[in-house]
Order: sequence, then C-alpha cells, then structure tokens
Amino acid sequence: MLNYVIRRILATIPVMAVVALFVFSLLYIAPGDPAAVIAGDQATPADVERIRASLGLDRPFLIRFGEWVWQILHADLGTSIFTNLPVAAMIAQRIEPTLSLMAVTLVFAVSIAVPIGVVAAWRADTIIDRAIMAFAVLGFSVPVFVIGYLLAYVFALQLDWLPVQGYTPLSEGLEPWIENLILPALALGCVYIALIARTTRAAMLEVLQQDYIRTARAKGIGQPGILFVHALKNAAVPIVTVIGIGIALLIGGAVVTETVFAIPGVGRLTVDAILRRDYPVIQGVVLLFSFIYVVVNLLIDLLYTVLDPRIRY
Amino acid sequence: MDRRNFLKTAAGTVAAGLATPAISQRVAARTLRLVPHADVSNLDPIWNVAYIARNAGALVWDMLYGIDSRLQPQRQMVESEEVSADGLTWTFRLRPGLRFHDGEPVRALDVVASINRWAVRQPMGQMIKARENELVALDDRTFRWSLKKPYPKMLLALGRAGTPCCFIMPARIAATDAFRQISEQVGSGPMRFVKDEWVPGARAVFEKFAGYVPRPEPPSWFAGGKRMLVDRMEWVTMPDPATAAAALQSGEVDWWELTLPDLVPTLRKNRNVAVDISDPLGWFGFLLFNHRFPPFDDVRARRALLMAMSQQDYMQAFVGDDDKLWKPVPGFFTPDTPLYTEEGGEIFKGPRRLDAAKRLLAESGYAGQPVTCMAAQDMAHHKSWGDVTADLLKRLDIKVDFVAADWGTVVARRAQKAPPRQGGWHIYHTSFAGADCLDPTNAFLRANGNVQVNGWADSPQVEAEISAWYEAKDRDEEKAAVRRLNKAAIDNVVYAPLGFYLRHQAWHKNIAGVVQGPLPFCWGVSKTA
Amino acid sequence: MTPPPVITAAAPDSFTTAMAPDLIASAPDLPDLFRPVRLRRGLWGFARRHPAIAIGGALVLAMLLIALFAPWLGTVDPTALAPARRTREPSAAYWFGSDMLGRDIYSRVLYGTRVSLAVGFSVAILASLAGLTIGLVSGFIRRADGLIMRVMDGLMSIPPILLAVALMALTRGSVGNVITAITIAEIPRVSRLVRSVVLSLREQPYVDAAVAAGTRTPMIILRHILPNTLAPMTVQATYVCASAMIVEAILSFIGAGTPPTIPSWGNIMAEGRALWQVKPYIVFFPAAFLSVTVLAVNLLGDGLRDALDPRMAKRL
Repeated sequence: MLNYVIRRILATIPVMAVVALFVFSLLYIAPGDPAAVIAGDQATPADVERIRASLGLDRPFLIRFGEWVWQILHADLGTSIFTNLPVAAMIAQRIEPTLSLMAVTLVFAVSIAVPIGVVAAWRADTIIDRAIMAFAVLGFSVPVFVIGYLLAYVFALQLDWLPVQGYTPLSEGLEPWIENLILPALALGCVYIALIARTTRAAMLEVLQQDYIRTARAKGIGQPGILFVHALKNAAVPIVTVIGIGIALLIGGAVVTETVFAIPGVGRLTVDAILRRDYPVIQGVVLLFSFIYVVVNLLIDLLYTVLDPRIRY
Repeated sequence: MDRRNFLKTAAGTVAAGLATPAISQRVAARTLRLVPHADVSNLDPIWNVAYIARNAGALVWDMLYGIDSRLQPQRQMVESEEVSADGLTWTFRLRPGLRFHDGEPVRALDVVASINRWAVRQPMGQMIKARENELVALDDRTFRWSLKKPYPKMLLALGRAGTPCCFIMPARIAATDAFRQISEQVGSGPMRFVKDEWVPGARAVFEKFAGYVPRPEPPSWFAGGKRMLVDRMEWVTMPDPATAAAALQSGEVDWWELTLPDLVPTLRKNRNVAVDISDPLGWFGFLLFNHRFPPFDDVRARRALLMAMSQQDYMQAFVGDDDKLWKPVPGFFTPDTPLYTEEGGEIFKGPRRLDAAKRLLAESGYAGQPVTCMAAQDMAHHKSWGDVTADLLKRLDIKVDFVAADWGTVVARRAQKAPPRQGGWHIYHTSFAGADCLDPTNAFLRANGNVQVNGWADSPQVEAEISAWYEAKDRDEEKAAVRRLNKAAIDNVVYAPLGFYLRHQAWHKNIAGVVQGPLPFCWGVSKTA
Repeated sequence: MTPPPVITAAAPDSFTTAMAPDLIASAPDLPDLFRPVRLRRGLWGFARRHPAIAIGGALVLAMLLIALFAPWLGTVDPTALAPARRTREPSAAYWFGSDMLGRDIYSRVLYGTRVSLAVGFSVAILASLAGLTIGLVSGFIRRADGLIMRVMDGLMSIPPILLAVALMALTRGSVGNVITAITIAEIPRVSRLVRSVVLSLREQPYVDAAVAAGTRTPMIILRHILPNTLAPMTVQATYVCASAMIVEAILSFIGAGTPPTIPSWGNIMAEGRALWQVKPYIVFFPAAFLSVTVLAVNLLGDGLRDALDPRMAKRL
C-alpha cells in the first residue's frame, strides 16, 4: 500500500514537469520582449539590456528552465511585473477566499447532487427522473456568470437576503463568511451538481441491477438502506472519480464567479494577470492550480482503497 | 426580511460565540470604504503617472503647495516663500512640526531630494531644471532654488494637481531613480499606507496618521487643513461596475468615485444613495495619432478624420442621452475656464463631411493599408470610443486592424516606436481630466517630436506658442498665446479631442462632506454608522 | 423502459391452422399483458423512441438555419452604430432592444449564432481528429504511450479555462486563435477516450486473428478499430462542442476571447454585463440563445449515447 502511494506520488512528478515546462514557455512564446515589458514605457535601451541580463534572457533555455524550477522548489515564484511584490506573497494573500469558495461549493454540490442522482436512479424513467436529468442538463448549459447575475439580482438586490458581493474572512466569524459564499457557491456549483448527479444516476442504475441488491431487498432491508448503504457504496468509485475530475471545473469556474461577486481570490488575480500579461503571476497561478488538481486526484485514488476493498494496491 | 434575520432564523445558533456584532459595528463606523476608478496596483506617484497613483498618493504624501477649488496654488507644507526682485531666487521656509510616518521630521534635504526626483518626470519641473542654477537646503526648514531665467509659474508647478504631483518623500526614498518603483511608502500626509493589508487587485488600506499637523484654514481641494474624520479607509477595487453599484446600494461600500453613466438613474432612485457630479472640470476624450508613420504622418489624413468624426457620437456612446452631461469642444481647453477658446475650431462645427474627408484622405496618399487602432476594453469609455472609431474608419473606407487589449497593454504598446504592424500603433484612445487641460501645461499638447503619449507629434509652431504662454507676462498675453496655440494645434491636428463630458460620483447617505473635485478628497469626510 | 413489442394475434398461418384448427379456435382468450405497441415508422416514431436526439437535433438544426439565413431573417448590419439610440428597450423597431452603442441586439444575436456554432463545431471536429490521431498512436505504439499520456495528463491538469486564457494571452484575439486555444484544451480528453477504446479492442480475439492473418496495422485500424471508436467519439464530440461554446462565452466575458468587432454571444454578454441591473435584456437574449444551443447539443449527445450503446453512460 505504501508502495502504491509512493509510486503514485512519483507519477505526479512527470505530470507536473509537463505543466511546468508549458507554463515556463509562456513567457518566451509570448510576442514582444519580456524585458521591455518589465522595464516599462519610459526605460532607455540601456535599462532594457540591464533587465534582460538580470533575467538571464541571454542564456540557454534549458538552463533558465532549470534555474526556474530550482526557485519554484524553494517556493520562490518570482516577482510580479506590475506590483513588484513576490508572486508567492500575492497568491498567499488571496488563496483563502478561493479555497473557501471551492470547499463550500464542493460540500454543497456533493450533498445536493448525490441524493438527487440516487433518487433519479431509483425512480428511473419516471417524471421525477426526467425532471432531475433535465435540470442537470440545464445546469451544464447556462453559463456560470449568467446564473451568478441572476442569483445576485434575485436574492441580493431584490430580496436583500444575502450580500451582493465581497468576501469576509473566516476569522471574522462563521456567519458572515458563509453569507458571502452562499450565492457564489450556488452559481459555481450548478455545473458541478449536474455532472455529479448524472454520474451518480448512471452508476447507481448499473449497481441497482445487481444480484446483491435483489438479495438485500429479499432480506427485507428498507429502501433507504438499500439505496444509501448497499448501492451507493458500490457505486462510489465512479462518483468519486467524477468529483475529482470536476475540481478542474471548479477552478475554472472560480475565475468567473470571483469576477461577478467581487471576491478577492486567486481566480481574479489570474484574470487580471492574464489581461495585463503579468507572466510571473500567470506562471505561478497555473502551476499552483495544476498542483492542487493533481494532489486532489491523488487523494481520490487513495480514497478508492477505502471505498472499494477490492481495489488493493 | 433583511439578510441578517434570514440567516439567523434559518441556521440557528451557529454564530454564537463568534465575532460580537457590537465591536465590528464600531470599527465599521470609523472605516470609510471607497470604490476607486482603478486598482491601486502600485503606489509610487512619481514613477506611475496614472491618476490612481496620484489619488491614493494624496492621502499618503503632502505637497509644498496645493491648488484650491479656484485653481490657485496655496501654501501647504510651506510656511512662507520669498522671491528675489529679479525673479531668479526663490527661498522657501517649511512649516514647523511636520513629520513623516516613520517619526522623522520633514527636513529641507528631503524636500530637495523629492523635487529632484519629481522634476525628472514632470514637464514643468523639467523646464525649471533646464534653467536651474542650484537647488539647495539651507537648513532643516529652509531651501533655496536659484535660476538662470525667471520662472513665474513656480508655485503652480509645485502645487498643481496634474500627475505627477510634487509629493514630498524622505530623502532616502526619493533617492530612488525616477524610472524605478519605490519600495517603501512613507510620507507626511494625513494617512499612512498599511502595506500589510494591501491586496493588489482587491484592496488598499490607509490609516489615520496621528502625527499629522493640518493647516488652520478650512480644506479646499489640495489646500487648507487636511483633517481626517475617519480612522481608516479601505479602497476596494471592483472592476465590474454592476457589482459596485449593487454594493453601494446595499451599503457594503460607502463611496463610488466614478459611476457608470448608465447606472446613475438607478442609483438616484435609491433612497440611501446620493449622486452628484464628480468634477465640474470634467473630462476629455482624446484620439491620438501616431505622427511617425503613414497614413497619419500626413496632416491631411488627420484632418480628414476631424472632418468626418462626430463628437456627438463619441460622447453619447458613453454618456448617454442626457445632453447636460457633455459638450462638443472645438479645441483643447476646458470649457468655462479662463483660457477656453474655440479659435480655429471650424472643422468641428457644422455637418460632417464624409465625402470631402475621403477625398482629402486619398490626396494624402492613403493606399488602403490597414490602420492599427487600439482601445482598452477594460475601460468602458475607451471601449465605446474605440467602437465608434472603428465604425468611422469603416465608413471612410479605411481598413481597420482593431487591437482590443487591456489598458496596461495599450500603455505598453503606445511606447513602441516600431512600425504599427510590428508592435506599434496608428491610433489609440484615452481620457484626460479637464483639470489638466486648463492651460498649455497639458502634456498631450507638446509637439517637440519626443512625446510618446501623443504619438510623437511634431510642430514647431505649436511649440512656439506654448513657449509664448510660459513667457507671457499677464492674462491678456496668456489668452492671446492660447488662442494662437489652439489654432496651431488644430491645424496640425496634434490629437483629436472627442468631446468634453461630466461624470458622477455616488455615496451612501451615511457619509457627509463629499465635495466635487478632480479626485475624491477624503479630508473632511465623515461617516455615521 | 418500453415493453418489448408483441405481435398480437394476427391471422393464423396455414401450418398451425392445418395442424389443430380446433385447438386454436378453442384456446382461451388471454388478457393482453402488455399494451399493444404499434411500431410507428418514420420521423415521428423515431422521435418518440429517441426524444433526446429528436429535441436536441431539432434545436441544433434550427440554430444552424438561423446562422445560415441570418441576413434574411429581418436583421440589419450588426455592427452599425447609432449612439443616439442606445439602450432602447425591446420594441417594434428593435426586437431585442439596442445596446450601449445603439446596435440592434436581435441582429447581433442572430449573427452571433454563426460565431458560436463555428467555434463549437470547429473545436469538436479538430479536437476529435487530433485526439483520434494521438489516441491511436498512443494505443498502438507502446513506447510512445507513456510519454504521450504524461503530456496529456499534464495538459489535463491545467483547468481548461486557464489553459485557454493563457494561450489567448500569447496572441491577439481572433476567432481562429480562440478555436485553437480551446481545441488544445479539449484534446487530452478525446485522446484518453480513443486510447482506452484502442487498448480494450486490441485484446479482442478478432484483432488477434487479423494480426495473425498478416493484416498490416493501418488496415487493422481502418477495419476494426475505427468503426468501434466512432460511436463514443461522436458522443464525446457533442460534449466537446457544448463545452467549447461555453468556454468561448466565458473567454469573451473575461475579455480574452473573440475580438469585440465580431458579434458573438459571449461578446454581447460581456458588453452588457455592466448594465444587467438596468437593461437586463442585453445579457438575457444571448444568454438564452447560448443556453438553448448548449442544451440542445448536450441532449443530442445524451441521446446518441443512449441509442448507440447504453453502457457508454458509465464512461461519458
């Protein structure tokens, strides 16, 4: 088992290497001279040369890449062109809102989607099933920001139940923290809920056909027991897989949701950096998000052993 | 049902024991939350000549002089000044008791260093430096600036509101090269910059500086006593105007510096929100040409555009239907100010002549090459004007290569001297404060071929008239010079003014003391809970 | 679940009649356990059996027609400015209202159909082709498999929106660049799918037999592998198409998508978003069109998946 964990961790290294290579190349594929961008519009050619030398832009690509990776491993993600602050510090400042949003959305989405997927499978081909699946497809189809604006309009402006925008750190209280996150989590979660519900239903349908379910029913176990104890546990593997894959959706959606709800998270940092061509920040953020995604999927792989004892490494 | 009650009834006792409402409400009462027009992404008001750096800088740093609401420079940090009879020697004495945020007293050495740094970047400072004999600190509170030629507009130079302002920093920080960012934000202004809580792109925090010694006079723009009536200010960046409007209406922010014109009616309808003109000196829209490359290196091509364009289209595209909010401007100076003139502006008046424009364009030798037109998409006004220009160019049968980037990229690209198709540009759009178009100190009017912001415009005649204004001995001479300058600049089409317009600011009714002005003046603004 | 079709007692054939006419005549009339189902032929029957494909297909077809015939559907020039008549409510003159520059939203939305459909279809086709190639190579050539899959994993671990936006940061906005950026973001998924199909098919006996018979690899691919990948790939392609349209809208919303001179649904929504509180129709109409189109494509995909092979539901 430990063997497996180590092997899996080692397997993430080449993946991260690919990401790192891609991300590092961004600065150099980009049109324009990065040194000129950093030097600013009032710099003299001598200034630009100085900056080029200090960036090491005159040395071979692989050497620069190696140095950059070495820096990354020491948690030095470079310095932002626009704010002159270390990228790591900028990310650290803004990571809490994004992680909070993602966590709340995850909890939220799973606790809604799995039960409705189970119900849809249980009542397959009835009006309930069709309604749930129709709602799920709708969740896929409407863009996140449209849902966000709708929710903000109805619940925040018209009904004044929740705040329109912003983020309150957890340190200032649980209630304000949740209040600020409800609407964004709902908006962001729609796609996620749709995805998880569909997969839950499909996996449950397959499991419900199995013999052991019939046995359980024959044994007299009640419907909730059958659905949630026997069937769901066996359907868990594909469901958990899709939850893991969906993290990528969450990250992408967080970018838009943070813009709509003015949450000062890493998503908005990314958008601003990309529009301004602030490459060190773009590099740092893409690396970070990929790392999160890889780690989450690793955890999910390890979770399989808990969910399905047949999977033994 | 308001939002606090909703969650309390729904969730029950979850929040018990955590942050007590009473304390947070007290803190909130002394914190003023402002939505600025742009993000405070770096705070060095000499290195970064954008308005936002000046606006935030005005809280953190103080100036020797400051203009008041009648545009006259008044003493601020200076207690008294003396100019010799021949106008060549200026001696200044600082007020006593001025301190920096780090506790050090403000010394003349600091002032000298700050002026030296500022003068590198500011045209009037450059002019003074060109005729400088020496700038020296005589003792801790006195410094002397001796010149080879008189410079009557010295006080205006030191006190003007146009960027970069002559902010006074400690000598060790002002020693930083004017083309590099400072890393410490220490000043002697009424508020301290709380760098620990700064989140670039999201929030900038300022705290009241207890050691600030305001002048006794009442405040008036940059002059008078800058008394802070709140303990803390948070500048909350909101790139989405809809979000900012909603936040203002729900009381989550207190003051919105520049509203979107289309949202003003909604804000007016809200009982808790007050809306007013932000700056009576208003704003200009500019369309700048690259004077170095065809087709717009030929004055006929530029005049063709002036003939065909409609300032009404440009202004209405941003400001909307309310005619009180915009004026056509046949020139370069702010309407309703002493130096305003329409001399030479006939080309702007009357019906638009599309066919004549096309003929003139053909005469200038335009052969159908694409014109690279830049407009910042993240600035609503630039974006609208960019779209109007693209339409105009199309109607003139000019091929458009439209570059839709963000403002930072536009700024970077306009500095490029490369040919337009290789990273350069033909046209870009910007807006400029009317407060900075009062006189020929407007940087965009300089036509010495060296000014990047107006595309390296080159016109000896325009330069001559600008110098004439600087040398003018009285108001009449100034006005004459300005009239000739206006005509020369239009004839040469240094740039194309798109019109003059006003914008609004909006605030929650629980704050008081908001005045009109070129930037949100935070002194004298108080907040009740 | 539709009950299996039952052939109700029609005219008895000659054989049974000959064998035991009395038996047949005296057989008791059993009640019909299943309601008789008339197998309707033609389009209506098809629609009843596969509602998802029918509805999805019909809507997609409608959008295609709108895109093709936009100039003749009562539209005006979508880029014609009229600042004096900006932000007008929907009315007889402006069916969907006018936007901040006085342009007719109805025309912009209809012309926007072209961009969105072009992006969706192009990405689906390009990503499928590229993914197919990569998946085949990866499935067949073991030595390349490891490297290719690591690269695909790497690309997949960058969230697609970020990947697309980062790629757009490298270039200027244009429809072609948007298509390229989104395609690159979608290729990993398709290639994984093709690879898994190839890997599972490679072990099949008939493939072994073909190899033993000396059939060369290209022939094997053409005859045995490709037909089996077509079904899942088609379904996956529809999902890619739907996802591409949403990603394009989000890219335009952020400001990194199609250039603003081209009316696309994402652009119209991005421009109108500052006014959603006061003039919601500017965002509403393109949002409705986008949602309906994406919904239709998703439905189509679901229907195809269920029709072609219900077992795919687990994987897709």
